[in-house]
Amino acid sequence: MPQPVAIVSVGQTKHGRRDDVSFPELVREAVQACLVDSGVGIEEIEAVVTGSMPAPEEGVEAPELWLSEAVGMGVRPRPLLRVATCGTTGMSVAQAAYYHVAAGLYDLVLAVGMEKMYQGDPQGVMTTINDPMIQRPFLGGALVFFGLQCQEYLVASSKPERAREAAAKISVRSHRAALANPYAHIKQDIETADVLNSRIVCYPLHLLDCCPVSDGACALLFASEKRAKQLASVPAWVKGVGYAGDEYWIADKHWVPWESARTASQKAYRMAGIRKPLQELDVAELYVPFSFMELMLYEDFGLCERGRAYELVEAGVTDKGGELPVVPSGGVLCTNPIGATGLIRVGEAALQVMGRAEGRQVPGAKTSLAHALGGTAQFNAVMILSQTL
Amino acid sequence: MERVGIVAVAQTHHNQALSQTVRGLVYQVSKEALTQADLPLERLDTIVTCSSDYWQGMGCSNVFYYEAAASYLKDSPKTEGDSANAFAYACMRILSGIHRTALVVAVTKGSEAPSIATLTNLACDPFYLRPVGIEETAAAALQARLSLERYDGGQEMLAQVARRNLRNAIYNPYAHRRGDFSLAEIMGSPIVADPLRALHCAPSSDGACAILLADEETARQLHPDPVWVLGFGWAAEGYDLGERDFLATTALKQAAQEAYSRAGIQDPRQEIDVVELVAPYAHQEPLWYEGLGLCLPGEGWRFSHEGVVDIEGPLPVNPSGGVLANNPYMARGLMRVVEASLQLWGQAGPHQVKGSPKKALAHSTYGLAGQAHTVIVLAKE
Amino acid sequence: MPEERLDTIAETVALPYTWTTGPTLARFLEGLKEGKILATRCPQCRRVLVPARHFCPRCFVDTEEWLELSDRGRLRTYTIVNYKYAGQPKPPPYVIGVIDLEGADVGFVHYVGGIDLTDIDGAARKLEPGLPVKAVWQQERHGRISDINHFAPVS
Repeated sequence: MPQPVAIVSVGQTKHGRRDDVSFPELVREAVQACLVDSGVGIEEIEAVVTGSMPAPEEGVEAPELWLSEAVGMGVRPRPLLRVATCGTTGMSVAQAAYYHVAAGLYDLVLAVGMEKMYQGDPQGVMTTINDPMIQRPFLGGALVFFGLQCQEYLVASSKPERAREAAAKISVRSHRAALANPYAHIKQDIETADVLNSRIVCYPLHLLDCCPVSDGACALLFASEKRAKQLASVPAWVKGVGYAGDEYWIADKHWVPWESARTASQKAYRMAGIRKPLQELDVAELYVPFSFMELMLYEDFGLCERGRAYELVEAGVTDKGGELPVVPSGGVLCTNPIGATGLIRVGEAALQVMGRAEGRQVPGAKTSLAHALGGTAQFNAVMILSQTL
Repeated sequence: MERVGIVAVAQTHHNQALSQTVRGLVYQVSKEALTQADLPLERLDTIVTCSSDYWQGMGCSNVFYYEAAASYLKDSPKTEGDSANAFAYACMRILSGIHRTALVVAVTKGSEAPSIATLTNLACDPFYLRPVGIEETAAAALQARLSLERYDGGQEMLAQVARRNLRNAIYNPYAHRRGDFSLAEIMGSPIVADPLRALHCAPSSDGACAILLADEETARQLHPDPVWVLGFGWAAEGYDLGERDFLATTALKQAAQEAYSRAGIQDPRQEIDVVELVAPYAHQEPLWYEGLGLCLPGEGWRFSHEGVVDIEGPLPVNPSGGVLANNPYMARGLMRVVEASLQLWGQAGPHQVKGSPKKALAHSTYGLAGQAHTVIVLAKE
Repeated sequence: MPEERLDTIAETVALPYTWTTGPTLARFLEGLKEGKILATRCPQCRRVLVPARHFCPRCFVDTEEWLELSDRGRLRTYTIVNYKYAGQPKPPPYVIGVIDLEGADVGFVHYVGGIDLTDIDGAARKLEPGLPVKAVWQQERHGRISDINHFAPVS
């Protein structure tokens, strides 16, 4: 049985274009925010897990070494682990920190996700994810992997026009939610017409269907039961974790249904004892870098029947006041420092059940879902958090 | 610490690895480990892999080989840095009770990539250490010079460490580099970064390895005599080279202390029977003995040539030849655990140490002049 | 002398790599040189996989049965790339498609050509799911994926 584990504090940087800080300074900003939030000193941290997108993104190999002082290794040497799983990195960092504590070996573990996207050429770097022999010339970066996926979803949809409209509404809802998030990058009040009229960047994706490029970092403090009860009046207990990946060859599968998304969510639900996610979850921080994907996730996560995700949007089920608010933080469509993004989902989901999400708070949230995706539309990761142990 | 058992290990030959892709190598060792343990795919709960995007020339390097590591629709994170840490992480996944079995896989193809110097220069910050030409070998050379100044023994002792490792490798069929070099040949090999010469420094090899782990109950089902993980620890120091004491090995001492305390080791020199450590530069081996507590502080050089650590000695170090013989960069840490396990099982073949070793120590390091270290203690029942 | 910025440093890091293709892919590339698309079949699930594979990703067994596929198929899905990035193989706009080749159980990714892309929405309407396409081969082939220039719609 895993030892109980909770998140007790969350620190984030102001995300966006951060030409005012170096990479280590950016990391330290998030770490400091997290420590101040918890009242724990850097010397008390027992182990650190960090992660970011491919090291070539920032042009520094093994960046955890250069960044080691920003996470306290200069104070005294401690375990430092770098985890890197493409878009799911932030959640993989969270899950690794979780396992440190769940294994009964550590009581206080810092999870830090970071990215300084503006230091590199993101799509250029992401292109190298593909093997140089066969897939690389065709699959550029995220836009292409996910563009192909979104197009397949649209074609499979019973009503593509309604799905298209629903995706635009998702973008609008997310952008408006970000206005209440002091850390969010893009703050823009838009209408659905703005989405549909914005430039096509990678059909079917219009510019406002797409996530931005952001610099940012996030740090979460994971604690054992004893420490969690000392450090937080309402800790965010980790009730379920799930992760799954599809094959490398992008076309070996269809994306509808998206098996890795189904598998990851089912694993997390099973561990958390969730049978009716739409009813039992109070808020979902889904990782949605491209608007259509939220529709796919509703279906693959068992929130609605296949092909009918647009109905949830049309009925306002996933709006702030609906039955299951999705990304009250504004989500990935407004903020995307990739190595941190998955961790920010966990942090936001934690803040919700801790009752500390400020202007983003969903009243009475007790159980939340955090999600991340990545790879060449290949990986999915889910974490379920709850107020109750 | 509860026990995690090693039930299968697999590794590739450097020469054979030259003609396979990274993906093909991952498949080979993963398949071999699962077959050895006769574990059906559905009973493999999780996989932890280790590779470097820069080394592979591919961002998110595990995307490319994901299902080659038997990970199709499974939970398989990738770590970077040191595959010995991937091993520790996989153990933690099992210790949580959530996973009963775990495969750990690491891979690097040095032949496909730019040199170790280029890639470790890229591990330096772009403003200061990178433009002044610091990379792993240059930093090690600075450390080597300090080491030679502090301790008696000089170039001959340095050469002896290299000689011993490369001679051991003659009996390791998997190794990249091996031979019975004379001290003169070693001391006469080209200068790479004074005082380090070519034969003092690890080559850049191709290789992959895999280890199958299980919780105690499952391990006993899968293997008549599992190798038990008694404890592990790891630690990293701060980055700034100017601030670090190159000879103090603070991260190593921290890692060793954590591992020994979990494993219940009080006197490593007496309790450990065989050691597989990562010393990519010959002078680091005696330095690591001290940090590991295998000898008294300041005695590392003497210890290294008194016969104690020879393959026939009472505490053999690197019977495999270590990384001076075989250095598939990201996989080298995990490979130490593979080699240590083979020693405990008595299955190391021509380079098997005598005397039925019961406890082994596997160590790894990465970063400039050993910025980060990992220590793992293994034992047979 | 123009004033140097102190808050940023810019550089392009270009690194040389030589990747091994491995025996299976090397044989597939040989096939391309000969104007053939080669696949392998999994002995367990019986799926026909292309490009030819060393092992089946789902069954985790070696795939040693080789077959030649038709160079015709149907378009499963696509995207129209309309943005720039460092190291891009060709200037946008262009179409990337997933093609279900006749006889294969998995999709094949490649460019789709022969479509006017001046109006992206209009082009998208022409790229109907199930559109029959055929490979357009280079005259001179070198054993690279670019030996197929693109797939084009056939009437």
